[in-house]
Amino acid sequence: MEFLGTERYYLDPELGAIVNMAIAMEKPLLLTGEAGTGKTQLAFEISRSLELPIETLRCKSTIKGEEACYVQDTVLRLNDARFGTSETGREVNNFFDYVIWGPIGRAFRADERVVLLIDEIDKTESDVQDNLLDVLEDCEFTIREVNQVIRAKTRPVIILTSNAKRELSDPFLRRCYCHHIAFPTPEQMREIVNLHFPDLDRGLLDAALGIFYELRGRGYEKPPATSELLNWLGALNHARVTPDRLNIPYVGTLLKRTEDILSYRNGGGKRARVN
Amino acid sequence: MFLDGFILRLREYGVPVSMTDAVDFYKGMERGLAPDLDSLFLFARLSFVRRVEHMDAYERAFAFHFYGLDLPRVAEGDPELFNTPQFREWLKEAVRKGELPPHALWTLPPDELMKRFWDTVRKQAEAHHGGSRWVGTGGNSPFGHSGNASGGVRVFGEHREGGRRSALKVIEDRRYIEYSDDTSLKSANLSQALASLKSLKPSGPRDELDLDATIYQSARNGGEIDLVFRRAMLDKIEVVLLIDNGGTSMLPHVALTRLLFAKVRDRFKRHDTYFFHNTIYGSVYKDARRFEAIPTARLLQRSPETRLLILGDASMAPEELLYPGGAIAWDAWGAEDKESSLRRLEKLRDRFRHAVWLNPIPKEAWREAYGRTTIKKIGEVFRMEDLTLGGIKRAVEHLNRK
Repeated sequence: MEFLGTERYYLDPELGAIVNMAIAMEKPLLLTGEAGTGKTQLAFEISRSLELPIETLRCKSTIKGEEACYVQDTVLRLNDARFGTSETGREVNNFFDYVIWGPIGRAFRADERVVLLIDEIDKTESDVQDNLLDVLEDCEFTIREVNQVIRAKTRPVIILTSNAKRELSDPFLRRCYCHHIAFPTPEQMREIVNLHFPDLDRGLLDAALGIFYELRGRGYEKPPATSELLNWLGALNHARVTPDRLNIPYVGTLLKRTEDILSYRNGGGKRARVN
Repeated sequence: MFLDGFILRLREYGVPVSMTDAVDFYKGMERGLAPDLDSLFLFARLSFVRRVEHMDAYERAFAFHFYGLDLPRVAEGDPELFNTPQFREWLKEAVRKGELPPHALWTLPPDELMKRFWDTVRKQAEAHHGGSRWVGTGGNSPFGHSGNASGGVRVFGEHREGGRRSALKVIEDRRYIEYSDDTSLKSANLSQALASLKSLKPSGPRDELDLDATIYQSARNGGEIDLVFRRAMLDKIEVVLLIDNGGTSMLPHVALTRLLFAKVRDRFKRHDTYFFHNTIYGSVYKDARRFEAIPTARLLQRSPETRLLILGDASMAPEELLYPGGAIAWDAWGAEDKESSLRRLEKLRDRFRHAVWLNPIPKEAWREAYGRTTIKKIGEVFRMEDLTLGGIKRAVEHLNRK
């Protein structure tokens, strides 16, 4: 089983090797990096390329960890106990008829190997991370109500992503393989753009990439990232204009913050280049 | 095993390596995950490097151990280079071999020296490219003793398929230098510092009803309602930032620090910035031009739970700090100025348990800096950290202290 990327996704060879090492060592792989570096996308591509189903947990700040494994539908059970189950096929005495499995629960109970994506783990509170840690490490969790252990039949390929909104704890990091995806170099960016716009005019692309990387270097509050570049290229391509440095068309697709746009109009990033 | 030396080397470079990591690493090696040096570079990095701030140290350790390249901890073009041991050794050797005049440090322009140094490094790197066989120096310094590879380990490897770049090429880019713990704060690593700041612990009252726990407790109590409260998840803390915008040396840091705090604003219940010149006297100022004065006494009335961060180089003439009426700026003269600034700082410290002083001057330079006397004095009052990623992290740890 080797992950080689797909025709729709540019896979940096280094990243490909890292994914395969993590799969071979059966370690969760934690991906960090700026937005737009394809962290989340990578998990979907692994699932597509290895032909494994994928389970996704999108983290929120209010999540507690347990509901990622399972929740018990107590209200439904109470209702059934009071008014009868009639033809639903549920049995009030059977606890498992009232369990709703979360993404982790589904991943562990699956008969075949799955990819388990835990997206934006940094949004959760740190004790939630510590709880998830043991679950992911041992690939098992306990259903408290019936004291039953659910153990993964085959270890899922676990991918975690983090936007580094806050620091992850050391014990958490210790159990994962961590990789920081650097922002794509201009050459890599060319490959990425090629996948989305296969027949883009070369002159347009050269000019656009030049301006894009220059803008990024100016130290805006929200520097433009890959998705902004792709939207902008789409707009340019549609309108058939070639951008020039002094007057950037559709600058609103690249810079999102009012302050950034204003400071661009005033001739460049004002707080740029402090280093 | 033959890689023990490398693992020890990582520790030497400040990459924290645990026993479990090492065991897992050898397990992977036995499974043949790193058949060549380039794969070893990736696999060892996965096994041992957990935080992006250790990445550059890892790359330097790898370059030194396997290629005999002794890279200084600074980026190309950074004048800090002159303070690195690598540069000094290179200079000594170059002078000894007659490639540079004896007092090169004084007679040659700094840019020229820097360029020469980096050219040497590039040449050493060049020597390693292009062959499939490679000989390490086992950690001998490459400067001077050229070609001496005694004690080296030898690794044979095929070049990898798939167009992956060689480890050395990757290292040469120094892509992670901006994130390293001892780099100073700049726009590129701002988000890193942000992450540290956001981990300021919540400290609000327990005023949110925990429904699940309440039901559980009430059921245990046999139906007697037992309300359970918890802390709101959001960090409800108040932060006061005091900035010294007196000298021109402070200017670049002021812009960055303000940006940094502006970005985390929504995390705090309240966040105020005030300005001062050199040190704090009877007043601090609401605006950067220091017209709108706020008496320091008013600051002292704020909740003792307020987090106080002071940004300043703490460098001034000792009289300014130690004697009443020592202020040099016109704006701080006043009838009420009967206390020395040091005394006022102590009062601030006594009021706010969670206080820290951030100094843009790197820690190593504090003892030799122009303001060493006052840095030392203020450092005795406040916990002082420098404005590096590591410093900010330690500052936040200090603020989080119970």
